[in-house]
Amino acid sequence: MNDMGTMAGRDAVPESAFEFTGTWREFLPIALTNLLLTIVTLGIYRFWAKARERRYLWSRTRFIDDSLEWTGTGKEMFIGFVVVMAVLLPVGLGLQFVLQALALRGQALAAALLVFALYGGFFYLIGVARFRALRYRLSRTWWHGIRGGSDDGGWEFGLKYVGKTIAGAILFGLLVPWSMVSLWNDRWNRMSFGQNAFEAHASTDGLFGRWLLIYLVPIIGGVVMMIGFAGAMAGMAGGGDPTMAFGTIVLAVIGFYLAFILVTLSYYALFYRQVAAATSVAGIDFAFTAHTKDWLKLILGNIGLIIVTLGLALMFIGYRNWSFVVRHMEATGTVDLDLLKQSQTRAPGDAEGLADAFDIGAI
Amino acid sequence: MESEGWLYDGERAVRFEARVAVEGGVLRIDLDDGRSLSVAAADLVHLESRRDCELYGRPDVQGWRLALCGAAPLGAAVRATTGYGRWIDRIGLWKAVAIAIAVSAALLFAADSFPRWVAPYVPASWEKKVGDALVGDFGGRFCHGQGGQQALDKLARELSPAGSRLNVRVVNIKIVNAAALPGGNIVIFDELLREADGPDEVAGVLAHEIAHIQRRHVTQAMIREYSFGALIAALGGSAGSKIGMLDSLHYSRGAEAEADSVAIETLRRADISPIPTARFFDRLGKQEKALGQVGSGLQYLSTHPLSADREQRFRKSAVAGHSYRPALSRDEWQALAGICRSGTKKQ
Repeated sequence: MNDMGTMAGRDAVPESAFEFTGTWREFLPIALTNLLLTIVTLGIYRFWAKARERRYLWSRTRFIDDSLEWTGTGKEMFIGFVVVMAVLLPVGLGLQFVLQALALRGQALAAALLVFALYGGFFYLIGVARFRALRYRLSRTWWHGIRGGSDDGGWEFGLKYVGKTIAGAILFGLLVPWSMVSLWNDRWNRMSFGQNAFEAHASTDGLFGRWLLIYLVPIIGGVVMMIGFAGAMAGMAGGGDPTMAFGTIVLAVIGFYLAFILVTLSYYALFYRQVAAATSVAGIDFAFTAHTKDWLKLILGNIGLIIVTLGLALMFIGYRNWSFVVRHMEATGTVDLDLLKQSQTRAPGDAEGLADAFDIGAI
Repeated sequence: MESEGWLYDGERAVRFEARVAVEGGVLRIDLDDGRSLSVAAADLVHLESRRDCELYGRPDVQGWRLALCGAAPLGAAVRATTGYGRWIDRIGLWKAVAIAIAVSAALLFAADSFPRWVAPYVPASWEKKVGDALVGDFGGRFCHGQGGQQALDKLARELSPAGSRLNVRVVNIKIVNAAALPGGNIVIFDELLREADGPDEVAGVLAHEIAHIQRRHVTQAMIREYSFGALIAALGGSAGSKIGMLDSLHYSRGAEAEADSVAIETLRRADISPIPTARFFDRLGKQEKALGQVGSGLQYLSTHPLSADREQRFRKSAVAGHSYRPALSRDEWQALAGICRSGTKKQ
C-alpha cells in the first residue's frame, strides 16, 4: 500500500486521477450565505467567503484516492490585505500630492519621471504578487497530510516578470508566447509539494503559429470587408437594396469579432494544454485536456447564466471555473507515498494580500 | 469501544490503517506498522464528515489527520472547526447578520456626519497651511492684469460677510471652473471669465464658492476624503466602494444645494440680480449637451452637477420689477475679464 499508482489503464481506478465531486445544490447554501454576509459587512467578509468557498471546492476535488484539503483562513487573508494596504495606501496618497504639486509647478520632467517610477513599481509588484499568490495557495493545499509551498519570496520573479513582459510586448507583441511560457516555467520551477520540487519545461513549439493567427484575423477581415464593401457599393449602384448591403456589413463586423475571439481563445487553450503537459511533481506528470470548444462552452455558459439570473450566478463563477479545471486535469505516473515527505517550506503569513491589492488571480 | 479508521501522520503521505479505542477521553490508536499512540480527545478538532467517516485533526501537528469510520463520532469531546468564521459560529448566523447590519449602518452614518461635527473644530491655522500648499500648486499661473485683482477683491468683499479674510485668485488654466480651497482660498479658472457674459454671472459663481468656505464644506470634504473615504475604499471592495461613492455623491448634492441657498441670499443682500447666474448655468448646460463635458472643458459641471432645479432656484429668487445694480462697473469688469490677457507675471 506504500506504492500507490495512478493510473490510466488500471482497473479499479477511474479514468482520470482528478475528479470533481461537488454539486451546485451543495454549494448553493455556501454561496448564498457568503453573499449575504459580504453585503451586510460592507464587503469585509469577502475574505472569509473565499476561504469557505475554497474549503468546499478543495474537499470535493479527489486526487487518486483522497480529496484535497484547504486550510487557509479568512482571517489570514484579511490581515494580509490590511498589511499591504497599510503600506501601499499612504505611499499612493503621498505621491498623488507630490505629483499634483510637481505638475502644477511646471516640473513636467520630474512629474513624468515620478509617474514612470510609480508604474514601474506597480508593474514589479504585480509580478511579485502573482508569484506569492501561487505560493500561498500551494502552502494551504493539503493531500494525504502533506502540503506544498516555496521558499522563494518572488522578488526575483518580479524582475523577470517586468523584463519578459516588456520583451514580449516590443516587436508588436510577437514574442508574447515566449514570455508567457517562460514566466510559467520560472514560477512553477520555484514551487514544491512536500519535499518534491515542481518541474516545468514548457516550450513554445506550435504556440507561435496560433499566436500569429490572431494577427492574421484583422488582415483577412480587412480584405473580406473591402471586397464586401466594394460588392455592396456595386450592388447599390446597380439598383440593389441598400438595407441588404448594410446588413451584410453588420454581419461581417460581427463575424470579424467572433473570429477574433475564437482565435484568441484557441491560443489560450493550446497554451494551457502545453504548459500543463510540461509540468510535473513527485513522479506525476500533468495534462490539461480543455480544447477551444470547452473553453467556449465554459465562457458562454458563464455569461449566459449571469444574464439569465440577472447577475446572481456571479456567486457560481468560481465554482464553475474550478470544476472546469479539475474536470480537464489529468495525471499519470506513480506517487511513492513513502518518499512524499512533509514540506519544510515556511508557511507564508501574507496570504494573497498583494494579489488582492491589485485584484489579480494566481494562475 | 473500538473502531476502524486510517491516519496520516503529517510527515509522510502514507495512509496508515488504524484501530482506535476510546477510553476515558483518550484515544488509543494502533497503526498497521506496529506503532501505537495515545491522543486526548480534547486535543482533536472535528474537520469534516465524509460518507462513512469522521475526519479529525490536531492543531499542534500540521497535516495530522485521523478518520474514524463506521463508529459513533467523538461528539462533544472535540471542538468543531469553523463554518462561517469563528465569531459568527459563536453567535449564530442570523444574530451575526443583524449585528453586522447595525454596525454597518452606524459606520455609514458616522462616516456621513463625522466631518460635519469635526469640521468646526479644525484650527484655522491648519486649514490655512493646507490651503496655502494647494494654492502654491498653481505656482506661476496666477494672473496679474492691470486692475483685475482690485475688481475681484472688491466683488469678493461685497459678497462675503464683514471681517472674513478671503484670497480670491484667477489662474491661467483653460478650464471652465471655480474651486473653493481650504483656508479661505478661492481659485477661478480664466476660461470661466471668458465664458461669463458680464460681472453679475461671475458674482453668482463667486457667491457660491464663498458659501462653501463659510459653511466649511471644504474642510468637511477633506476630512471625509482622508479618513472614512480612504478606509471604506481600502476595506470595502465591491459593495463598500459603491456605497462610499453614493455617500460622497449624496454629500456633494447636499453641500451644493446649501451653497446655492447661501449664494442666493448673498446676491439679494448685495442687490445683484440672480437672473444672469441662472442664464450662465443654462448656457453651460446647453454647451455640455452639444459638446460633451470633456470636449468643452466644462469641469465646472462635473464638480457642480447641473440640474434644472438649480437654474430655477436662482431665476425664481429674482424680485420682479426690481432694478438691481451691476456687480461691477464697466471698467472694473473689463479689467477683471482681461486679467490674464495683459500678461501674467511669475510670482
